[in-house]
Amino acid sequence: METFINPKSLFHLLLLPCLLLYSSIAYNSSPVEAAMHTNNWAVLVCTSRFWFNYRHMANTLSLYRTVKRLGIPDERIILMLADDMACNTRNKYPAQVFNNENHRLNLYGDNVEVDYRGYEVTVENFLRVLTGRHETAVPRSKRLLSDEGSHILLYMTGHGGDEFLKFQDSEELQSHDLADAVKQMKEKHRFKELLIMVDTCQAATLFNQLQSPGVLAIGSSMKGENSYSHHLDSDVGVSVVDRFTYYTLAFFERLNIYDNASLSSLFSSYNPSLLMSTAYYRKDLYKRRLEEVPVTNFFGSVMETIHTDAAYKALSRRNSGRFEDEMSLDQSVHHIKRRMLIKVNDGDEIHDINPELLQGEEGASKCPWSTFRNKFQKAENVDSLLNYGLVAMIPLLVISTWLVQ
Amino acid sequence: MAETKEKSLSDEKPKPRVRPIVRLGIFLISHSFLVSIVCCTAGVLALFLLPVLAKNTYISENALMPGSASPMLSNQHVSDGNRLVKDLTNPNSKSSETGIESHKIIAQYMLDLGAEVSFHKFHPQMNQFHPLHFFSSPVSGKIQENYSCSSYGINTVGIIRAPRGDGKEAIVLVTPYNALKSGFGEALSLGIAYSVFSLLTQVTWLAKDIIWLVADSQYGEYAAVAAWLREYQTPKFSSLSTPNAEMCPDVNNLFELKGHSISGSKFSNSFRRAGTMAAALVLKVRDQNEQFEDTISIYAEASNGQMPNLDLINVVNYLAVHRQGLRVNVEKLWPLLNSSWLKSLGEIFESLAKVAKSLYPKWKFGIPATEYVEGTATLASSLYYQALGVPTGPHGAFRDYQVDAITLEISPKFSLDKVWRNDILLRGGRLIEGVIRSVNNLLEKFHQSFFLYLLTSPSKFVSVGVYMIAFALLIAPLPMVAASLYVDANSSSNCSKGDSSTPSAITDTDEHGIAIRSWSPTTSFMIWVLLSILSLLTLNSVLASPLACAKATQEKEWALVKSVTISSVFIGLGLMSVINFATAEIGALLMVPMCLLARPLKLDVRAGTLRSFCRLICNLVLGHIAFPPAAFFLLKGMLDGFGNANVGDFWMWVESLWAWNSATYLFIGMVQLPCWVLCVSILFHTC
Repeated sequence: METFINPKSLFHLLLLPCLLLYSSIAYNSSPVEAAMHTNNWAVLVCTSRFWFNYRHMANTLSLYRTVKRLGIPDERIILMLADDMACNTRNKYPAQVFNNENHRLNLYGDNVEVDYRGYEVTVENFLRVLTGRHETAVPRSKRLLSDEGSHILLYMTGHGGDEFLKFQDSEELQSHDLADAVKQMKEKHRFKELLIMVDTCQAATLFNQLQSPGVLAIGSSMKGENSYSHHLDSDVGVSVVDRFTYYTLAFFERLNIYDNASLSSLFSSYNPSLLMSTAYYRKDLYKRRLEEVPVTNFFGSVMETIHTDAAYKALSRRNSGRFEDEMSLDQSVHHIKRRMLIKVNDGDEIHDINPELLQGEEGASKCPWSTFRNKFQKAENVDSLLNYGLVAMIPLLVISTWLVQ
Repeated sequence: MAETKEKSLSDEKPKPRVRPIVRLGIFLISHSFLVSIVCCTAGVLALFLLPVLAKNTYISENALMPGSASPMLSNQHVSDGNRLVKDLTNPNSKSSETGIESHKIIAQYMLDLGAEVSFHKFHPQMNQFHPLHFFSSPVSGKIQENYSCSSYGINTVGIIRAPRGDGKEAIVLVTPYNALKSGFGEALSLGIAYSVFSLLTQVTWLAKDIIWLVADSQYGEYAAVAAWLREYQTPKFSSLSTPNAEMCPDVNNLFELKGHSISGSKFSNSFRRAGTMAAALVLKVRDQNEQFEDTISIYAEASNGQMPNLDLINVVNYLAVHRQGLRVNVEKLWPLLNSSWLKSLGEIFESLAKVAKSLYPKWKFGIPATEYVEGTATLASSLYYQALGVPTGPHGAFRDYQVDAITLEISPKFSLDKVWRNDILLRGGRLIEGVIRSVNNLLEKFHQSFFLYLLTSPSKFVSVGVYMIAFALLIAPLPMVAASLYVDANSSSNCSKGDSSTPSAITDTDEHGIAIRSWSPTTSFMIWVLLSILSLLTLNSVLASPLACAKATQEKEWALVKSVTISSVFIGLGLMSVINFATAEIGALLMVPMCLLARPLKLDVRAGTLRSFCRLICNLVLGHIAFPPAAFFLLKGMLDGFGNANVGDFWMWVESLWAWNSATYLFIGMVQLPCWVLCVSILFHTC
């Protein structure tokens, strides 16, 4: 837009209203202190090895499927699986993973993109993913490329204890480590909001050290409580899903991408008697009211966008809402375009505050194309003005030569 | 802190003060009489409390997950097993003299399932005594040369490779089978194993290879399994050490024939192996049915009181009780079940526990009296078989290679008609399948649960941390009494002789005993006793002449001898408790009271008080009981009735200890007998 401004800068004095408009747009395109929610990421971690921990992998894969169904694309999901249950020799169903004994849904179907697998799932790699401190050789697909407008879902499952989570049966992630990583992420503008969801024993203790604003955490059990598995698949011979994850999935199975269920409805859906533990959520670091935050803000990829094109201005709010949803489906493609829309929207809001300016430029700022058209109209006027000015200068020239002679 | 305090105290007082630990030691030594009474009583009491203190077993290894998978063994597999049973019990198959026909049938059945099959020829080996080879495998290099081509056994081995496994680990299923005179039970055990085997060829979840060993038990079950294991664990790479059995032409011909007659390409003449063994199950079915319900007996004791990991027993127990509805037995000393004094002891403990519970509700340690009696009987048998050091079944051969193994013996309740046979095939097969699937889930060797334990019931155990207390209490007074005796005796003299001779005398007698093994047990035993006494007296007169010392010191000489005896008993028991706890515990029960009470009879007779008279009687009784043959007769008489006791039995018993490499043999020869001789010499001391 600046490039448009520069050639025309000669005519500032003549084009005062246009100038005002431009400056307002330029102001809004610089980074705003509270960035808009622009994209969604998910980091899904299964930390435990061994056949008898089948359910942890099933938990993670179920969550993977859910967030993918709700619109987070594969390139924005970092999936870490500490073991390969599908190809374990003890698996009665080779290359398949189930989270229910009815075996209706194979979680390990065609489109599963595992980013960190087996012994790659370490505390070090996990912290590197969160903080973005990778070695240069690490491909982009294995990095968490989030920015200050990102909502991140961090889901972890495995065996935990008081303020730690076991990785790979050999190391552990402590609550300090997690809190430190989150703090670094905040400092590096790697997220706008972060939802940490943990399904382990004594999961609540893992959040004790968190300090960074914008972090919401939910764990499957309080200190001193165990998180239990939901049911045993006597065909495969192992427990296939944990209770907390099972009821989380049950909640999401009822939802589709257009639903407006809030986080508070998710949190209140956990029944301690069914869970056999007390789900705990920590929201003191989180500013927004949970009733107003749709779950799709984290588990899907649905943005809070307000589309107000001039052509659609007369449309009702509901219809424009649907338009937003459609936009979000192919948001990765139209990402840049939509960002532009958002900025224009911001400009619009400012115009709403200055009604007199708006009156002068009726409809001009609704859409860039109209703005440009307007500009070009103005530019034609300038040409004629220039011509008139030149014509008016002829008598001046004549008079001046006459005075000199 | 304590030291500095000590220092400051010593600074204040000019008199040098000894450290508290030394003072405590001196105090204990000076009150050694009281200490020894208290400790010994507590030790015996603690031993009788063990059934009360037993904990419930639990599955310690997460990976096992027994019973989490539903059994897949169906009636189809059972009917397959039934077919094999029919073929084996068919009189035609028994026509051959060597029983080779039934081996052929089994091999053909295995091949039909797609398993790899091979035969293993072996010669029964005489056991050789290897002192100090308690926990190691027999050395393969020392195979005897005098094979005869007429006596050999054939093990049939079938191997299923895990379809997606890495072939590094294996689970072994053993069914002893005597082709010449097989009972119906043996055929049935083969049927159960076959039905499981046929299932396992179809499943996709195997992570470990399955080896089914049909052990030819005509030379004993243990010998066949041990021979196969020796071959399995010590591969022969050079042609120099080709097995001697190959030299017998007729044996080779038989195998050539077989190789051609059997259709499958998976049959091989060479020895086949799979990976390291994770666990082994020996399956037997008992012919006689004296039980009122289907029971399954678990035998776990291997050589020298080694036990398989408790988790293996737990898995079998859990699956048998909670999945297949079988009653699980472990060995009991049956005569103890009817003893009234145990029952009253149990009632006393029960009422004590009730009182304790009424005082403080959280104290819950009481068990019902009947349960106590059963627990004690099981514990006693557990102690006895561990102390014996002789394996209770073919599983003992596996333990020598550090493989966890148990023998399962199924005793069906009803006569084995068709329906009941199918039922026992199904339930037995499902039990074996469950155990195999559970072990299949294992990621490492069994290591989580206990290796040192005593069972008081199939689901209760006493761990090493608990039972060592009883033993420690029993032997704790020994060093104190020895020290106090030494201090007392040393105040007047420092002449101590007369003990060095006896151990050498005993080793002499042992050698005599070995030399005369070919005679009948009773004469052997008598000759051994006579020779021992003779050599003992000779050596005593030569080396330990009482005239060597001055007359004045003789009065205290017995005290010095007693002190030395007690210290050597202490050292011997301490060492033995590391090698085989049960032997040490039983030995301590016999020897500690005798050593502590020993006192010259003359002194007691001279004193003439009631106290000395009691001591005299005790000494005489203990002196008899602690003599190993006497103790053996007494125990055997108490358990089986005195009518059956025979003098030769002891000889046989010791011979079996020798044959099985038992450390108990060494213990009796090197600790118990010498100390008994010393004690007797104290009793008859002339002073």
